[in-house]
Amino acid sequence: MTVAEGAKYVAAAYAIIMAVLIIYYFMSARRVAALQRDMQLLEDEAKRLQASAAGTAAE
Amino acid sequence: MSGWAQFMAILRKDLIRELRTRDMIVSMILFVLLAMVIFHYAFSVKGNADLTYFTGGMLWVTFIFAMLLGLNRSFAQEKDEHCLDGLLLCPVDRVTIFFAKTAGNLVFLLIIQVVAVPVFALFFVQRSFVSDLLPFLLVLLLADIGICALGTLLATISMNTRSRDLLLPILFLPLIVPVLIAATGATTLVFAEGVGFGTVVARLLFLLGFDAVFLVAAWGTYDFAIGE
Amino acid sequence: MKKLVSAPALFLGAGAFLIIGVVLAFWYSPIDASSMGFSQKIFYYHAPIAETALVAFGISFVAAIAYLRTQNLKWDRLSVVCVRLGLLFSILVMATGMIWGKAAWDSWWDWEPRLTTFLLVCFLYAAYFVLRSVVDEEQRRATYAAVFAIIAFIDVPITFFATRFLPAGMHPAVITSGGTGMPGSMFLSFFLSMIGMTLLLVALIRRDLQIETLKDRVSDLKTALGG
Repeated sequence: MTVAEGAKYVAAAYAIIMAVLIIYYFMSARRVAALQRDMQLLEDEAKRLQASAAGTAAE
Repeated sequence: MSGWAQFMAILRKDLIRELRTRDMIVSMILFVLLAMVIFHYAFSVKGNADLTYFTGGMLWVTFIFAMLLGLNRSFAQEKDEHCLDGLLLCPVDRVTIFFAKTAGNLVFLLIIQVVAVPVFALFFVQRSFVSDLLPFLLVLLLADIGICALGTLLATISMNTRSRDLLLPILFLPLIVPVLIAATGATTLVFAEGVGFGTVVARLLFLLGFDAVFLVAAWGTYDFAIGE
Repeated sequence: MKKLVSAPALFLGAGAFLIIGVVLAFWYSPIDASSMGFSQKIFYYHAPIAETALVAFGISFVAAIAYLRTQNLKWDRLSVVCVRLGLLFSILVMATGMIWGKAAWDSWWDWEPRLTTFLLVCFLYAAYFVLRSVVDEEQRRATYAAVFAIIAFIDVPITFFATRFLPAGMHPAVITSGGTGMPGSMFLSFFLSMIGMTLLLVALIRRDLQIETLKDRVSDLKTALGG
């Protein structure tokens, strides 16, 4: 096998690795963002419920 | 009650219960014999194909799958009849339960093999391997111990999950491959060429090591596997 | 978790090492004298990924033991994350290994011991996830998963050994991977790639751990609000 052919295989292997890892990285970044947004929404909701419960209790 | 007495009590209970009805053992024996016939047809595409070097593989694949069936059966039965719950209420050391169950399964497997091996030899093995009986039996025993120990541990876990008997093969098969490799190699050598003790020793030692390692691992983790 | 090094820095550092490793592998390291020729250079990524995968599984093993002793779910989270990443890396090992096999020996698959072991490892840890998926209750799932993670990791070196030395009548493994006595120029590329991969593993573990923790807290909050 000539150097050129061998290089193609090697490059293909590297490309696959990099592609998979980069995709994984970006997918996990999106996941983190989405989860943090969910957390924020839920915490706000919890605070709201607490505030209204305190409000009704005071009346 | 001492640990040994507890062990014997549980073992006796399992053995008596099965020997009274015998349905698990009979089913497993039938399965094993049928599997051999099926193997013959699976491999006889080309006339009088020489299967000598496949014998070890066929034998152990059959035993492993028979064991999976048996484990599923006995543990499902235990769970449905809540035997295990009753057992856990007693002040028994969890690990004793493990050893007793493993020993019980080992006995069942050995019974099946006593019937199956001669039939298998009749069907597939040309040479008389009586001269190599001792190494063969040792391989059988050591591989059996590994299969039963791992099988019992994993069946305890899988029985308590949603997919019960479907899960056990998935957990069990990847783990048992080393045993399969060693046992198949040794058994094929015995059936095909006949070997002195020496050539099989490496595999025997490997199986011994495997058994030791996983018995210890199971001893350490069985408390958690069975705990509720 | 300690915020000694920020997440982006970790990823960038990993990336840097990996890129330098690639550059060196291509232009600095000599072409292998054996029949493998240029394709040998796959080794500079193939081997580090393999070792990193095993490191990941090792961490999952330790974490599993820690969970069983403390019953603290944070160890279970670490264990899952490491198994998942280890599985991902193992699949990459097999992919690169197969490409290497095709390039060097013109065969995609020939049951060579190391690739076969990684195949079994993939099955083993895939089973881990199947196990987790069929247990609904959190603590029990973590317990069963921990037991299996421990058993599985113990089985990995045993499988390596068995596939290499035991099959009857098999041709011996004809894999030259530079051996232990790598010339310096080869070793440098390998070493840098190794560091890069390890850093990448650490970065991914931290990221995934963060995801798992968030997931648990979100679902806890949901039950608290909904219930």
